[in-house]
Parts: sequence; C-alpha cells; structure tokens
Amino acid sequence: MTLTDPRPPKAPSGPDGVLARLLDHPERRSRTALVAVPALALLGALVVGGVLMGIEGVAPLSAYGEVVRGVFGRSRGLSDTAVVATPLILLALGITVAYRARVFTIGAEGQYLAGALAGTAFATAAGLRALPAAVLLPCALVVAVLTGAAWSGLTGWLQSRFGASVVITSLLLNYVAAAALAWAVRVGIRDPGAFTPQSRPVAALPDLPGTAIHLGFLFALAAVPVLAAVLRRTRFGFRVEVLGASPEVLAVNESRPAATRFTVLAVAGAFAGLAGFVEVAGVTERMTPAFATGYGFTAIIVALLGRLRPVGVLVAALVLAGLTVGFDEAERVFVIPSATVGVIQALIIVFFVAGDALSRRKAG
Amino acid sequence: MDTLFTLATLAAAIRLAIPVAVAALGEVLTERSGVLNLGLEGTMLFGALAGYTGARVGGPWLGLGAGLGAGAACGAVLALLMVVVRADQIVTGLAFTLFAVSATTYLFELSYTIGEPPPRIESLSMVPLVAIVLAVLVGVWFLLTRTVAGLVLTAAGDAPGAADALGYRVAQVRSAATVVGCALGGLAGAMLVCGPLGLFVQNVTAGRGWVALALVVFARWRPGRAVAGALLFGLCDAAQLRLQGTATAIPYEVFLALPYLVTLVALMVRARRSDTPAALAVPFVRGRSR
Amino acid sequence: MLGIRRGFGPGPAALDDVDLTINAGEVHALLGENGAGKTTAMRILAGLDRPDAGTVAVGGAPVTEFAPRALRERGVAMVQQHFTLVPTLTAGENLAMARPRGRLRPPARQVRRRVDELAARHGLAPVPTDIPVGRLSVGEQQRLEILRALDADASLLILDEPTAVLVDAEAEALLTVCRGLAAEGRAVVIITHRLGEVFAGCDRVTVLRRGAVVCAGEPVADHDRTSLATRMVGSAPAAARSRVVTASPDGAVRLRLRGAALRRLQPLDLEVRAGEVLGVAGVDGNGQGELEELLAGVTGAEQGTVWVDDAPVPVGAPRERIARRIAYVPADRYRRALAGPLSLADNLELGRGLTRRPPKPRREAHAAPALTEWDVRATGPGATAASLSGGNAQKLVLARELAAERALVVAAQPTRGLDPEAARMITERLLDAAAGGAAVVWFGVELDELFAIADRLIVLAGGRASAPFTPPYDRAAIGMAMVGGHRR
Repeated sequence: MTLTDPRPPKAPSGPDGVLARLLDHPERRSRTALVAVPALALLGALVVGGVLMGIEGVAPLSAYGEVVRGVFGRSRGLSDTAVVATPLILLALGITVAYRARVFTIGAEGQYLAGALAGTAFATAAGLRALPAAVLLPCALVVAVLTGAAWSGLTGWLQSRFGASVVITSLLLNYVAAAALAWAVRVGIRDPGAFTPQSRPVAALPDLPGTAIHLGFLFALAAVPVLAAVLRRTRFGFRVEVLGASPEVLAVNESRPAATRFTVLAVAGAFAGLAGFVEVAGVTERMTPAFATGYGFTAIIVALLGRLRPVGVLVAALVLAGLTVGFDEAERVFVIPSATVGVIQALIIVFFVAGDALSRRKAG
Repeated sequence: MDTLFTLATLAAAIRLAIPVAVAALGEVLTERSGVLNLGLEGTMLFGALAGYTGARVGGPWLGLGAGLGAGAACGAVLALLMVVVRADQIVTGLAFTLFAVSATTYLFELSYTIGEPPPRIESLSMVPLVAIVLAVLVGVWFLLTRTVAGLVLTAAGDAPGAADALGYRVAQVRSAATVVGCALGGLAGAMLVCGPLGLFVQNVTAGRGWVALALVVFARWRPGRAVAGALLFGLCDAAQLRLQGTATAIPYEVFLALPYLVTLVALMVRARRSDTPAALAVPFVRGRSR
Repeated sequence: MLGIRRGFGPGPAALDDVDLTINAGEVHALLGENGAGKTTAMRILAGLDRPDAGTVAVGGAPVTEFAPRALRERGVAMVQQHFTLVPTLTAGENLAMARPRGRLRPPARQVRRRVDELAARHGLAPVPTDIPVGRLSVGEQQRLEILRALDADASLLILDEPTAVLVDAEAEALLTVCRGLAAEGRAVVIITHRLGEVFAGCDRVTVLRRGAVVCAGEPVADHDRTSLATRMVGSAPAAARSRVVTASPDGAVRLRLRGAALRRLQPLDLEVRAGEVLGVAGVDGNGQGELEELLAGVTGAEQGTVWVDDAPVPVGAPRERIARRIAYVPADRYRRALAGPLSLADNLELGRGLTRRPPKPRREAHAAPALTEWDVRATGPGATAASLSGGNAQKLVLARELAAERALVVAAQPTRGLDPEAARMITERLLDAAAGGAAVVWFGVELDELFAIADRLIVLAGGRASAPFTPPYDRAAIGMAMVGGHRR
C-alpha cells in the first residue's frame, strides 16, 4: 500500500515468462549501449574464435582474412550472404513485432515449417501444378503466409481461451509441425518419381536481374522499412508499444490487450510462413526431411541482437549470414572444424546475453 | 498382436524413456523453484559429451559421473546468469542450448581424427540405468514431499515473497535447484551415451531436452507423473520407430506428434494452469512487494 | 517508539515525531484515517521498514537492526493485510516452513495435533491442515497467520485491519481471542479505522492524524464514539468555501446510477448534474475503487445501471468512453493512466490517436503546446513519462483527459502525493471543467480538500453510501459516517 506518491511499478509480473528486464523499451537506454553491447559481443566471440583456431594450429588472422574474402572477395560472396540472410530477416522481423509487445513466442520454427509445407502443398497440388509460375507462386506465398499466421494464431487462441503459456504451447507446436513435415514428404506431397522422401519440385523464384539472389531477398529488404513504418507510424504499432509497456494502461485507455496480442502472434506467424515458402521456392526447390535447420531459433537471436528494431535485425542477420558464408569458404582453405562458425555464433549470443544483463544492472 | 512385437516395443520404450525421464526429473526441481530452464537440451549435450569422454577414459560409470559433474557446471553458469545477474530466462536458456550444440560438436570433432570412426565405448545394460532412474525418482520425490528443503523450494516458485518474508534467500534456493536440476540433465545425457547407444554423435540428444521440458508441463510438475509421461513418450517413440518399417493405416508420424498433442490437450482440459509455479520465469527481486 | 519520523519523497512526512507506547497484557488500538501513518508505524515496529529518525525499543532493549527476522526473534509478529502464506501449500506445510524442526517434514498427523493444540490453547477455532491454504477462507487464513505468529511465541502481535475481511461473527471471535492473548501477558496492537472494534475489544487507543499523534494511548473507557471520531478527522471548522456553486438546481442530470453494485460496492443510487462536483469520502477499501471502475467503464456493474447523458457507460471500450466525453483520472496513475517507458507525446496520444500517425517530430510538436499550457515540466515532449515527478505526471494525465469539453470527469484522489502548488493547479483545472458543464465525481483524500470543492458530499462505508451532505459541512457527522459502517 502506498501512502504518498505512488511510484511507477518496476518489474512487471506474470507467470507467462514475462521477461522483466531484458526487453525494456529500447528508447530508454542510451544509443551507445544499444549498439555497443552487440558489437562487443561480436568482437568477443571473434576473439575467442580466433583463440580456438589458434589452438588448432590455424593462424586466426589469416583465417579471418579468408572469411572476409569469402564474403567480399568472391564474386558470389555477397549474393550467398543475401540468400542465407533472407529467411533470418523475415523470421526475425516477425519475432520483433511479437517481442516488442512482450509476447514471447518461440514457435517461429514450427510456423516456418507450416508455411513452407502449405505453400509447397499448394504449389505441387494436382490441379494447380500446371499453372504458370507467375500465378502459382504468388498464390502459394499467400497460402504460406496464412498458414503461418494460423499456426501462430493457435498459440494465441490457447492463451486467450485457456490461459496456456505462450512459451510452452508455441514450443509444442514446433514438434507437431515437424511431424507434419515428416509425414508430408514421405506420403502427403511426396514426389512419386523420387527414391528418397521429398516433395515435388516447386517452381523457382526468379533471381534478381543480374545477380544470383532470389526474389525473396527483395521481400526481406522491402519488409524492413515497411515494418519499421508500421511500428512507428500506425495505431497498431502504437498499440504494440503500449502493450509491451503496460497492458493495463492499454486496457484502460486505448484498446483490449487480447486483440493486440493475437494480432502480433498472427503477424509473427505470417512472416515465418513467408520465410518458409520463400526458402523452398528460392533455395531448396523442394521440401525434404532436412528442411528444418533451426532458422526459427537463430532468428530469435537475430531479433535480440538487432535490439528489436527492423534495421538492427537486418544488420544482425547480414552479419550472422556473412559469418556462415565466409566460414564456409575459409573451411576450404584452412583446416577449420566445421563447428567453429557455430561456436562463434553461439558465443556472440552468450556474450550478448551476459553483457546486456550486466549493462542493465549498471543502469539500475 | 505379436507378443514379441509388444515386448520388444516395451523394451525400446523404456530404453528411449530413460534419459528423458531423468532430465525431466531435474527440470521439475528447477521449475518448481521458479526457474524455467530452456538450456536443458544444452546441458544434456554437455553431459553426453562428458559421459562419452569419461567412458573412454575410465569406463561407463566414470562417464556417468562426468556427466553429472558437467551438468552441475552448466547449472552453475546458468544459475549465475538467470538468478544472480537476472538475465532473462528464456533468452539465456535458448542461447545456452544453441551454444551447446555448436560447442559440443566442435569439442567432439577435436577429439578424433577425421576419417577414422570415433571409438565406441563400453556401454551399460539397461538394468543399472533403470535402477538409476528409479533412484532419482525416489530421491526427487522424497526431497519435494518429505523434507523442509522441498517446501522451501516450492515456496520459492509459488510465492517467493512469502519465502523471503520468512527469511529464506530465494536466490540461493533457486540457484541450488538449477544446479541440481542441470546435474541431473547432464546425467541424463551421459546415460544416453553410456547406455545401449554406446557412442556420441553431433547433436546426439536430438531434442530430448525439449521433450523433457514439455514433459514437465504434461506432468504438472510432479515427479511420478514425469516418469510416467517419459514412458508414454518412449512408447510413442518406439511405436513410430517400429512402424517406420511396416505399412499401416496410421502414419507413424502421428506417433511422433502424439505426445506433444496430448500435452497440448492436457493444457486445455485442466482449468487454468493452477499447478504452474506462480513465479515461474519471473526474476525475484528482494524488497519489492510480492 | 520515540520520536519516529518517516518520509517518502517530497511532500509531508508519513510520520512526524510519533511517540507510541505499548504495554504487555493490553489490547491497543491504533486508529486513524487513510494515510494517517498507522501501517507505516507498525511496519517499522515489525522490522519491515526503518525510521528516518527516532528510536524503537522492544522489551526495554533498543532495536538496532530493522529486519523482519530480527524483530521476530525479539517476539514481534505482524499479520498484514496481504498474507505471507504460500497458497499452494497446506497449513501444516506453511507452519513447518516457518518453524522447521529438523530437516524432514513432520508427518501430517503430528502437524494437525500441533495446530489443534495451539488453537485450543489460545481459544482459536482450529484450521484445516491438509488442504492448500489458497482454498481456505480468508478468516481461516488469517487465523493461520496468527497461529504461525503464536507458534513463534510472539510477545507483541500486530494485526493490520484484521476485521476488514471478516464477517461480524468472526470479528467478534477475533476480538475475544485478542483479549485472551492479552490476558496471557502478550501485547496486541490492532490497526483499525472502525470504532466499533475499539470499544468492543481494546484497552487503550492511540489516534494518528496526518502522521502525528493526536491521542496518545489513552484508555478507551475515557472516550466515546464522538470524541474519537473527532480526533480522527480533526475538529477545525470547515474552511470558508472558496468556490461558487455553478450547478443550477434544474441543471441536466449527467450521471445517473441506479442500483449499481460491484464487488464490495452495495447497490447505489446516485445522480450528479452538469457543473456539480460530488465529493466521495471514506476510508479506502469501502467501495471507492469499485465505484471508480464503474464510472470509468473499466468494469461492468454486477447489478444495476450506470448512465452518462442518458446512455450506458461503455465497458472495456476506452475509445468509446472517450468519444462519450468521459474523462478518467485514475487513483493509481502509473498503473492505469501513464505508460512509463513511453514518451509524453505518446502518452497524450492514448485513446486519441489516428490510424496513421504523423512522424515523431510532428507528433512531439503537436504535443508541445499542451505541455506548456498545463505546465508539465520535463526535458521535452520526448521525455519518458516515468521521468516525471508526481505533480507533472498528474498534469500530463489531466492534459490528456481534459483536453476537450467533458460530460463526466472521474477524478480519483487527483491530488494524492502532490506538492501544494501542483495540487492547487490540478484542483483549479478540475473545477474549471465543472464550470464548463461537466459532472465531476471527486474521490477525496482529505476532508478539508473535499469541503473546499464539493457541492455535495457522500461517504462510502462498508460499501454503502451515506445520504449526501451539503455545505456547511458537519465534520463530526461526516467523521462518524466514515467510521460507522456495516460489515458483510
């Protein structure tokens, strides 16, 4: 009970894994801390990576030089990076919207699979397969987006109707999606002419003229300013911010929180579904059991490193993609264990998490 | 129904259930104290690697011990981040697991030369493993239901303010629970590797840690039900493995998804998650009102 | 306790030079209005808070460490309004946790015996020990808290508003128990605002008013209801009214409640006309929060109707509420009115923004005149709401809510915690709104304030409203209305 000036409430409570500190409104912290922590985490991870390589007998600076060359020096370096970054950007943008509203879904992986699956099923369906790609692909993309949104919407429904935790239900749905994928490539949408389980091929997304980058990258690039504008310049974006700051203030002064919560989940799912089918049509050509590579989880890290801002997400995705591509190349020249890039990426995250928490503690 | 089919499936179910059961028991402790440990999968991986390495050095029992120790070390790191520094639990756990996948692969690749297959280790039969599971079950159950420490642990997860008012240090309780829970997770990973499997491969746990997390919710945070749930998962897993070879009307993937679907339904049927530890994943700060 | 002083931030201190003596073997009542300082004083005594100045001595020995465990070891135990029981554990488990005997939990039978023994010894009804505490009735939970304190052999027991959650019969039983405990040689302090209890069960009484002692430990027998009520609310005659009554007797009725009830608020009939300021007085917890929610459309009435301008108040639809020109200034401004991390401009936009928002510089430029007009002092329209002082935050809320002509203004403790200058400005602006034709419902903090601004005054006690008072206000009668009150 307060007797005099009611103080602003500090850590919001709530059993659904509400993360009290990390995702405080970004405006509140100084600009330098915003960029400094991820940058330092990257630097730290690179240093440790260098040490690890050194232990292996590989000169770190030459190895990193090769990494840089792999991205900037090769003719395909940048385009490979863009292609790898595309799903990460799309997924992370969706996660950004949800996390800004403090709706912590970890179901991006499942929504990604669901969207990819639905889009592929649509594009390879008996009656539709023969349609020209220019008609088929956009329709399949829409199907993928809607499916991803619905998959995520399930989580929202379970939360609003039964009070089930978003974290748990979104995680469980990932597994259901994976099982659906397994069945679909074996039976459901299987290519009868193939020896191993896989779907029929899907018409490929055209490349951007003059490059080896598929159209999906353009979607991703375009989505960045669009999402930024939506978050900053629409009432929906405003409601996302308010929901993230205080659901009660939203409920008393603006609109019902449940509607906004549901919408952000649907948006996150939509982006994930889009990313899924874009990856099929742009890269893998068909769905195979190995389609699930964990992008959904990496994207969460990209979103956080990007400080939940669309531009930041773009930068973070490109950096991580660049590391992957660069190391791929470097591994041809040097004897670097293939897991090195994974370790470095993982170290970035670990350092970031620790660094952010510490900087937050200092700020009080 | 073919008797052999049933018996073999049951045995397979138990075999598949063992590591998941132990990991779930550990997570029950951790979550009851209020910490949501998404790093469980990562801890199991480190435990598996430690188990493999230990077994190569000194036999499978040493491997199990190494797994336990590695798990405890992971628990210490996670407790430091999640409880002391109060970094947010979901992100920290996820980051740790992602880190573990890469780190264990990297460390494993260091330990053998490419081209030669990695050595198999002497493996334990199922009997001692089942004994361990039962021992852990009894231990966790006893701790939670018969000791004062168990009460304090439950209080830390349900009403940390009340526990704090009584003079118990919530941060310490949670840290201890995380360390013990992760130690069990590490043990589970080691049991996976030192058991009938007998070797380590990249990402050997293949998501069993996530399964254990789902199990804890399914089991409503009760140890006995966690083991029963693990057995159910094992049965579904064994059934889908068995069905992969045969042609039946029901696709085996249904069994893949079944445990998760059942958990989802369980979350719906029960009224309002009243069994969830009320302060789960909420960092506790002294001096603020409950 | 001698010379205790305790302040929270700017504004008057919660406790100012308070002396308090409590003897063994007595039941001591601590009486006062909201904000008088009763709970603060007892929290200090129980070690939950520390004084800024002054000394505390328990059993003759001075207290050096203000921590709950330390004071508990000295024999002081406090049963607060929010219980510190773990709801999912049983009574037995809660007790075992508080005073563990050994590492293992005692078997259920032993616990039950312990509880029954304790209860019997002190004349309390027993508490079921094998169901989760969360499912016990409030009265049982409270008994358990007391048993827990007795289990620790407390020699000084503090009960904070214990009968607020009890029905008549339970309350009487509790008072009997307290007398029994006192007879054993313990000291019992009951914080209350209910005169009935004071006379029913207490030996001595101390009255606090605005952080100061106005009646120090005098025997209850020396007073009657009137004298204590007067002490509680002060005896200064109501100050000359400074405002001109603007409501005309045939002015349109803007707010109409018929049999509206919600939780603790009993069915209420009310009418407020255009230009009228209705003051609502009463100690917290008697239905004010519920009435506030009904008027602002936060929650719907369980019975009856709430109408503004001949149409029902929209529930759970803030934008509609704003369209109907109902302004809401909540009591808890940081929880309900302002989003701390958002900027001032953003907070002004709540409920009023367009689907397409202009770019940030234009929004902030748009907000600037309002900030100047309302004298909201901050580093700029981009500053966060959390960075504002209490006064400026409240001005911001008003800047938003009173930006246009209003039909109804719901102002819940609008000057709470504000420095006098800010309070004066807020008061002026709210009165201006009334002058502009709005019906204003003002939930008051202090009687003096209400006397100065209200055209009519009602008192909420026990969920029921008194008949309206009109000026010149009879302070004593109003004080009596506040402390009377039915229980459920």
